[in-house]
Amino acid sequence: MPDSWDKDVYPEPPPRTPAPSPQTSLPNPLTYFMKAFDLLVDRPVTLVREFIEQQHAKNRTYYYHRQYRRVPDITECKEGDVLCIFEAEMQWKRDYRVDQEIVNIIQERLKACQQREGESAKQNCAKELDQFTQVAKAYHDRYYDLGAYYSARKCLAKQKQRMLEERRAAKQAAAA
Amino acid sequence: MAAMSLLQRASVSALTVLSGRGAGSRLGAGSFLTRTFPKAVAPVRHSGNHGKRLFVIKPSSFYDSRFLRLLRFYILLTGIPVVIGITLVNIFIGEAELAEIPEGYIPEHWEYYKHPISRWIARTFFDCPEKNYEKTLAVLQIESEKADLRIKELEVRRLMRSRGDGPWFQYPTLEKEFIDYSPKATPDN
Repeated sequence: MPDSWDKDVYPEPPPRTPAPSPQTSLPNPLTYFMKAFDLLVDRPVTLVREFIEQQHAKNRTYYYHRQYRRVPDITECKEGDVLCIFEAEMQWKRDYRVDQEIVNIIQERLKACQQREGESAKQNCAKELDQFTQVAKAYHDRYYDLGAYYSARKCLAKQKQRMLEERRAAKQAAAA
Repeated sequence: MAAMSLLQRASVSALTVLSGRGAGSRLGAGSFLTRTFPKAVAPVRHSGNHGKRLFVIKPSSFYDSRFLRLLRFYILLTGIPVVIGITLVNIFIGEAELAEIPEGYIPEHWEYYKHPISRWIARTFFDCPEKNYEKTLAVLQIESEKADLRIKELEVRRLMRSRGDGPWFQYPTLEKEFIDYSPKATPDN
């Protein structure tokens, strides 16, 4: 089966198998074991898999990913308009799930880099580490500590507080 | 056990020898040559692996094994058909493949699932999430309209009661011509 991951994002290190240079004239038992595995395990499994694929090819069905339209944000809703607010909340919840998955993917890239590099991870994984710290900081600023009853309104209020703090810090920096 | 039986036999034969010697000395010329053996000694065949057959006394395992037997039976009674069914579905019908949504085509709500059994359940039993969404929106709109109307009604009541120029809070009163002022018409009543 073809690989399902992106080779640029998760690169494989170059293989280091040496060319065979046998020291003895005796045959390598590994070839016999590989042939036995091929006959006893690989070929029957391939035959069964091909049979199953033939049955699947007779009635091929497809599934799709949900596409949601963008609706007006919580900032564009009037105050008593419950319908607009509900749709904005649903969109915000979907975006929250998407952001969680984005953080998971960046985390997985960092973990894959650490596993790949091994001993030299501290040296070679700087890019993934930098990416992860940026994404984690952004997620923390936007979504952290909203509480159990989180909503788009509370997130907006948190953003307002953040902007006020920035403005105050900028004013102090300008005054100082 | 075999060793114990051997010891038992040896002790029995030693006892008979001693008693025979004692009886022989009492009765007459008793010596090793006239020793008697007990008549009933069962010959035990030493079978090396199993030893003597014993009747081991332990608590009844009937209830435990019955429970486990019935548990296995009732779990497998529906478990095996379900597993066979799922295997046949996976082999002969197969999972769906991911595809882009074609232009101008709106997929049904079950076409967003991969496994054929999930698709069947979504097709037969479940409502589409769009229907649920619209129902929620309808409920929210009705409730918001109700709340608006209730607030307006309170305001209208307040204003009509205070101003008195509306259709509410009008109470029937007597005509002024019917009032009889005669009891209090003069100052002496």
